[in-house]
Amino acid sequence: MTKNKMEIDFFGDGMRIFLDYISRQYKKNINYKPHPIIRAFECALHGMEKCKDEKYTMGVSQEGTKQDICQPYIVVLQKKKDVIEVKEIRNIKVDKKLPTDVMIIVFRLQIQLDKIIGEDVNPQQMVDALNTVIPGNRFYALGDRWKEARDLFQKNMKDGKIFLPEDFKHNGMVEELLSIKYDTPWEDYSNRLRSFIGSGIMEKLEDKNIQVIITSPTNSKIQKYKVFDSAIEFMLGKSADYLKPFEKKK
Amino acid sequence: MDKISQSSIKQIYSNYFDIIDSFFGSIKHYLGEEKDSHIDLGIHMASYPLISDLILDAIGDLDKEIEKFWSENAKKVFDYIKTKETLKCIYSGDISPVILEDFIKRSSLYVDSVVIADPIYNLSIFQEQIILDKKYYLNKLIRHVFNILKLKDLVLADSKENILFILPINLQLVNSEERNILLGNANNKFSDYINSITNKKFANAEDSLSFFEKLQTSESVFNKIKNPKILPNIFQDIRLFSSFLNNFGDTGKYSQFGSKSTGWNFGLYIKSQFIRVQEHRFFCYKLKAEPIYDYELPWFFFNYEMGCGGVDDAIINSLQKEKFEWITKIPISAIKILRSENKLEYMRSLLRTSVTDLKAKNDKDLLEVSEQVEKNFKEAFKQQKSEIESLEKEVSDITKKEIPITTGGFLAGFVPYLGNVVSVATAGRDIKNLITKRSQTKDQISDKEDSFINLLMKSHDKK
Repeated sequence: MTKNKMEIDFFGDGMRIFLDYISRQYKKNINYKPHPIIRAFECALHGMEKCKDEKYTMGVSQEGTKQDICQPYIVVLQKKKDVIEVKEIRNIKVDKKLPTDVMIIVFRLQIQLDKIIGEDVNPQQMVDALNTVIPGNRFYALGDRWKEARDLFQKNMKDGKIFLPEDFKHNGMVEELLSIKYDTPWEDYSNRLRSFIGSGIMEKLEDKNIQVIITSPTNSKIQKYKVFDSAIEFMLGKSADYLKPFEKKK
Repeated sequence: MDKISQSSIKQIYSNYFDIIDSFFGSIKHYLGEEKDSHIDLGIHMASYPLISDLILDAIGDLDKEIEKFWSENAKKVFDYIKTKETLKCIYSGDISPVILEDFIKRSSLYVDSVVIADPIYNLSIFQEQIILDKKYYLNKLIRHVFNILKLKDLVLADSKENILFILPINLQLVNSEERNILLGNANNKFSDYINSITNKKFANAEDSLSFFEKLQTSESVFNKIKNPKILPNIFQDIRLFSSFLNNFGDTGKYSQFGSKSTGWNFGLYIKSQFIRVQEHRFFCYKLKAEPIYDYELPWFFFNYEMGCGGVDDAIINSLQKEKFEWITKIPISAIKILRSENKLEYMRSLLRTSVTDLKAKNDKDLLEVSEQVEKNFKEAFKQQKSEIESLEKEVSDITKKEIPITTGGFLAGFVPYLGNVVSVATAGRDIKNLITKRSQTKDQISDKEDSFINLLMKSHDKK
């Protein structure tokens, strides 16, 4: 290190710090399951043992179930004489390479979620974890304000401020909307309807940085691995094209 | 109580460094060669947004880990130190000395063991809660962790006495009854001190603090002091006084105590010093150790309240003075040499020469003691130089007069000049003796040159 000038290797340091963290978790709990990126990394490294110079190996790992795959990652390594070069870490769900900054955010998210005991989190815990690791306080848990969101939606409908998209007529959303009564509990709304109605609360929020409303009922249990998918979707997925999460506000 | 062995203490510290390595090993390759590189590393790592956030998250359970470690080991180390009938010193003043390596070089010339509070324990368990800015916390943590890590070899060295002990030392560890007594003492002493410097009669610590809280500038605080002679030296100069209070106020912004006003900062600082003195005195008493500091301010407050303890205290703390900066230029391995040569007692008696108890107790600023210590060093160096010169002369005499002639003869089996006087066997034996003597004398020089005192002398001459 030259005094007053230190070139940080963001990728290498991020990886090393996280690997140290994982090894400490292993010591505490031999059943600790590392993040799929690390598991895919291990697979690729395993293949590297018999690999010839300049050749590539690939590791794949994911979470979830057969029907609902979450966090699918591939890691591609290349053998170059005595060193191993990381060619690519790709999230297959959004089909994008993982930039170093996003990788570090994913690692941080893992650490935040590890602090919560069990496999699931509630919506507020999810939001807290996301807001801790993704800069800008972008997430908000609707919680008990769903009634406020419902009334606001009703008023806006009456005032003609909401235009239902054309495809709502064909995808059953209109029927779902009509089936909802005033006293229907929030738990009985479908996911997409909760999302559609609940997001309306945005206009009432004082914090204008918020871009995503988590509308799941307060007591619902969200698998931890789904939180990662929400983060990746927000940062790299299609919604990122609209929300532009890291664009500086003018 | 089972006797604790030195090897089990070494194992404890080996485990301690394993913890450091498991939490900070991934960034240690950035630690430079410079003595203050730990300070740079703290500043740099805390300034990189992504990496610093990741480190902060990843080390989130450091407090639990270190607490568990000390809950299993602190008593063993405490008991071990307590039973040692050696000259031990406990450091107080900052989280760890600014450059621990230099501090140890200076102090280990005189004391058997230095004890410092574990910075990881104090920072992760107590300070993390009151520091508002997490990056500031990370900066401090990295700085102090690597300050210690640099001395890993010395902590684990196989010397007769451990050179450095790291221990959980904090007022919060004292049982509540004793802690309340210590805090009560500190408050009373603080209040008495404020009354003495202001010529006021505040009834308690709160009133003293309230008085200063209203003062917004350094000048207004300075003007309220009617007895500047009982202030530390650097507070007696308004320029240095203002600069100190500005820095202290800046640091306060990072903590929950905040920075209410310049006067309040002054009062808070003085109060914190009296609390620190109580804490320090308590642990010195428990471990049968002497107090040691690396700069003037904490020494001043200890000395103000307790007075100088005597010759040992005075010499130990004199060695930290700026005039002995040259000691820090010796390589750290020299400390191991000092211990392996068993010369600590020699160093001690050397430095004690002409330093009397009376002189020490009346020398508040340690000016006289440090001058005497400097004289003692110079005298020792003079003697060392003269011993080496005399040995060198002896080798030179042997080389010039005897070796070239007789060696040739001996090797050829023919002794040209001595044939009529001595037999070949005798000449051979004498020549062999000369060669042996020359070799032994050279070894003596080499020993002297590699000796601790010579390494010290070289540092002194380079200053």
